[in-house]
Amino acid sequence: MTRALAIATALLLTAVLAMGVYLRILRRNERERAQNLPDTRPISAPVAGPPSHVVLYLAYDNPGAVRAQDATVALPADPAQRGREILHALLGEYVKRPSSHELPAGADVKDVFLVSGNTAVVDLTSALAEGHRSGILVETLTVASLVKTLMANLPGVTRVKILVDGQERETLAGHADLECFYDVVTMEQLLQQLQ
Amino acid sequence: MHWSERKGKFPVARFLFLDRDGERKLLSRNEKLETRDFSGRTLVVATLLLVLTASAPWAEEKQVSVYGPRVSYSLPVAEHNGQDYVALLEALEPFGSVSARVEGQKWKLRFNRLEADFRQNGNWGKVAGRKFGLPGPFVLESNRGLVPLRALPAILGLMLATRTEYHEAGRRLFLGGVATHFTTAARETGLSLNFSAPVNPLISTEPGKLKMTFTRDAVVASTNILRLENPLVSSVTFSESNGQAEVVVLGHVPLLAQFAADRRAIEIVPAPGVAKTAPPVAAPETAPAALGAPAVVGTVPAAVAVPPPPTLQSLAAKPLFVVMLDAGHGGDDRGALLSETLEEKAVTLAFARRLRSELQGRGISAVMSRDADVTIPIEQRAAMADAARVAIFVSLHAASQGRGVRVYTAMINSATPTPGGFVPWDTAQADYVLTSRALADLVKAELGKYEIPNSEFSAPLKPLNNVGAAAIGIELAPSGEDVASVNAGVYQQRIAAALAEAIVVGRPRVEAQR
Repeated sequence: MTRALAIATALLLTAVLAMGVYLRILRRNERERAQNLPDTRPISAPVAGPPSHVVLYLAYDNPGAVRAQDATVALPADPAQRGREILHALLGEYVKRPSSHELPAGADVKDVFLVSGNTAVVDLTSALAEGHRSGILVETLTVASLVKTLMANLPGVTRVKILVDGQERETLAGHADLECFYDVVTMEQLLQQLQ
Repeated sequence: MHWSERKGKFPVARFLFLDRDGERKLLSRNEKLETRDFSGRTLVVATLLLVLTASAPWAEEKQVSVYGPRVSYSLPVAEHNGQDYVALLEALEPFGSVSARVEGQKWKLRFNRLEADFRQNGNWGKVAGRKFGLPGPFVLESNRGLVPLRALPAILGLMLATRTEYHEAGRRLFLGGVATHFTTAARETGLSLNFSAPVNPLISTEPGKLKMTFTRDAVVASTNILRLENPLVSSVTFSESNGQAEVVVLGHVPLLAQFAADRRAIEIVPAPGVAKTAPPVAAPETAPAALGAPAVVGTVPAAVAVPPPPTLQSLAAKPLFVVMLDAGHGGDDRGALLSETLEEKAVTLAFARRLRSELQGRGISAVMSRDADVTIPIEQRAAMADAARVAIFVSLHAASQGRGVRVYTAMINSATPTPGGFVPWDTAQADYVLTSRALADLVKAELGKYEIPNSEFSAPLKPLNNVGAAAIGIELAPSGEDVASVNAGVYQQRIAAALAEAIVVGRPRVEAQR
């Protein structure tokens, strides 16, 4: 074997080894990326029902406001399922781009439970909380939008509790309290400030 | 499905019980003591109380004061190997954008466009490309770079390109030739102190003695004692210690201080009721004497009378007026990532230090829930405030969205004080929320005076609901397009000054409720 051939062979072998290592790194990165992607699979079967008029309270980052907007949503008869569909429609406005108040992909409501007539418990996806922007105002806008929309469309609901992935969580993203119950009186006061 | 069937139950609501000794006990919703929770929390609260007490202003924390043309502030001084040390990054923060990083044994600092390098335990550093020796080894402590205090004048001089003058005995550093001189003029009716710039001293009186403590004012004097032949005032002494200047006026009768409207003059006069009993005047009408420059005699309009000092009885009846500054997040909890390199926890800490300095400069005691990059659970911050019986709790945050400052109060209905001494943990703020809102209104008004964009909301900001005192949240937003402006020293200083002014103005209302 000539010297030139030996060098060429060594270079090629080195290149093959380097490519092998690079390929492993790419595979590992891709695996990590796939693991970190929000779970966007449907979380509940679609429900059937007649299209109904609802009021969504949409949050606007600029200028920091929550405003009512009419919408039409197919709603089933069961009040808890109606609540879930209304919030699903609301959060759908935030995950599309552009949005007045962007929420991460996978942000959705898993379930809504009605407790003792006047209390609603909302179970949100972990993707919503984990990917939520951190800040007092942006977190307050999300909470106010969810709670007011539910109170406005489910007559009799005066208190709302928010869970994340079935668990109680201290704050939404470091600021907004999720351990408390939100009541209609304080929410109305907040909404007046957020007009 | 019922939610509780799937999720179990909510955590047991806790109630805060104040017994006669002011000790707090946590009871379950059924008013049964949870022994494990109780003992653990009591231990935590006791430890925090110790920490707070040790760090409180009345514990005479060692400090150095820096006086610049646009900003004055104080920094805590730490001891290492018998030498005084100070954190360099904090010393530079008021003057511009500053950041630091650790690379192995090296600590690299960037201030505006200048760079400085120090090595752990090294006896030299490089500032703006110039190598110079340190009077002691450089100390790296929890990623904070500490330099010997005696090196601070030289380092600030190099980095700010300005002249410095350091009064080592008093730990007072003057930048750019800034100094407030004063003259004295003794008269039959009292003594006038005239200053070259407005001053804001903390004044205390004892029978025959009136003491003025200048923390934020660069007051200097050429002589330390002045004896007077005056029927009311016998001497005026000037001294410097622990980052403060003191002017003590000794008199033959109880004295009172009155400020001129422009705060450039202080008139020392006999306290009400003693003027008529003062000994007959034998001294000349004007004593031509001065501690600084030649005497100036002028009419000093009386504007603000300093109230007499509180009696022991009144002090015992009322807790100290202390403001707790809660720098949001910290340690593992970085808060919002405002830009690629700017974390909310760093902004809140820097701002809390500035606000503490502004408050102390106005004679208001301020303590911080954290003064370093450490993790403190949110509820623990409220527990610290409640245990220390603070008068005002200020929760500090920062965000990249919007402009200016947003002021928050708790999102809770007001309530009348709960009978029986039990204060529900979850609604501890209810008794105070009206006072909190009044304070927030004042903050908004003061920010307006400083032309800082602002807005006010109620918000579910944790842990405001758990604080049994006036409590507000502050969210700093950038001043312009550049997100980094939220961390700019001058911008933060203006906000801190507005906040401190609002607290001074709101103090009577807060005290009235305590």
